[in-house]
Amino acid sequence: MDRRHYLRSLAVPAVAGSAGCLGVLGSAGAEGTVLGPPDQDLSEASHPSYGDELPHIAVPDPIAGETVSTAEYEGERAVLWTSFYTMCPDGVCPALIFRLRRAQEVAAEKGYGDETAFLALTFDPERDTADVLGEYADQQGVNLDAGNWHFLRPESYERGQELLDEQFGLVIEKADADEYEALSYRFPHYGLILLANKQGIVERAYPRGPQTDIERLVNDVERVVTG
Amino acid sequence: MNRRHLLAGVASAGVVGGGGLLATGTVPTALGGSSVEPVEPLTVDTIPAPGSRDGEVTIPTPGRTTFVDVFATWCAPCEEQMPALGEAADRVDDAVQFVSVTPEAVGRSMTEAEVAEWWRDNGGDWLVAADPTAALTSRLDVGSFPTAMAIDATGRIRWSDSGVHTADTLVEAVETAQDR
Repeated sequence: MDRRHYLRSLAVPAVAGSAGCLGVLGSAGAEGTVLGPPDQDLSEASHPSYGDELPHIAVPDPIAGETVSTAEYEGERAVLWTSFYTMCPDGVCPALIFRLRRAQEVAAEKGYGDETAFLALTFDPERDTADVLGEYADQQGVNLDAGNWHFLRPESYERGQELLDEQFGLVIEKADADEYEALSYRFPHYGLILLANKQGIVERAYPRGPQTDIERLVNDVERVVTG
Repeated sequence: MNRRHLLAGVASAGVVGGGGLLATGTVPTALGGSSVEPVEPLTVDTIPAPGSRDGEVTIPTPGRTTFVDVFATWCAPCEEQMPALGEAADRVDDAVQFVSVTPEAVGRSMTEAEVAEWWRDNGGDWLVAADPTAALTSRLDVGSFPTAMAIDATGRIRWSDSGVHTADTLVEAVETAQDR
């Protein structure tokens, strides 16, 4: 038993019954991954990390008018996932979306765009309508015509909150936004990016997603897709 | 509050701090004075607009001190940054390559003319370029706008910071990259 597995098995009782992402121990491990273990062991984090299954979620894409199911990508596409909201006032969300967008550009240039899915889940469905998301895509340089980018919009704020908490271990709550004139509420949130391989196993969790070195992330995606 | 919520709570507090770092972090602090490896130059198209021309620019420009402002037309602080950039552009040595770059998808989700209009509306009067696939912006590892960067003649980033800066700060950064 290597150290990581040992740590994880210690971590499981501590969060017993609460984290679905840790319940897959045994069915998903380092042997299902393309990349080696990350420099930083994140196995005790509340969110999915290296070797865990990417949560199975099915969420509407309001622009494409279809429900996107992560399970359907298994065997087909690697997934680069993040969560955000368009009215994010502090630059964190554009920095997350920018990383996915650059990875999308490189995937198109190198011809593996059809083997990759870019999923950006809004936790602010009340304000992030199809129109708002479409405009945001243009602004941020996202290529919706490539067919591999989906904005995911939960049916309600509560549904999104529940999904992020139960599936991703991320707690989202509305906070007042007194310091921002144009906003009635904002969301302090965790800037997480997840990279899962074609088998639906998480290869990398980037917990400081907005600061992740862009070329390193793009290189990780390429190795996972083509590896 | 169970343990898992506590962990997530701590994590989000960490990110609030991270957001602050994003706004104020500088390469010199992180890398001990300058980036270790030179940035590999990349040639991008320039945009016909006031003070600019229809052509190309290589960033960083080999053998010259290069000042780069990375902006986006949707970004309000980028508008706010424009007057100080204009002042800095006037004050720095003519030998410095002084250029603004947008990573927006010019040619796909917006046109050069739209960038030029924004440029004119905000008093731009120096070289402005498009990085439509975000290749250059990624190479410079910029993900937050605006970001200003001073690169020395060997291609090493000597100063980089996101957020809105005064003309004095920008000029001083350029002089640092010129080893003055």
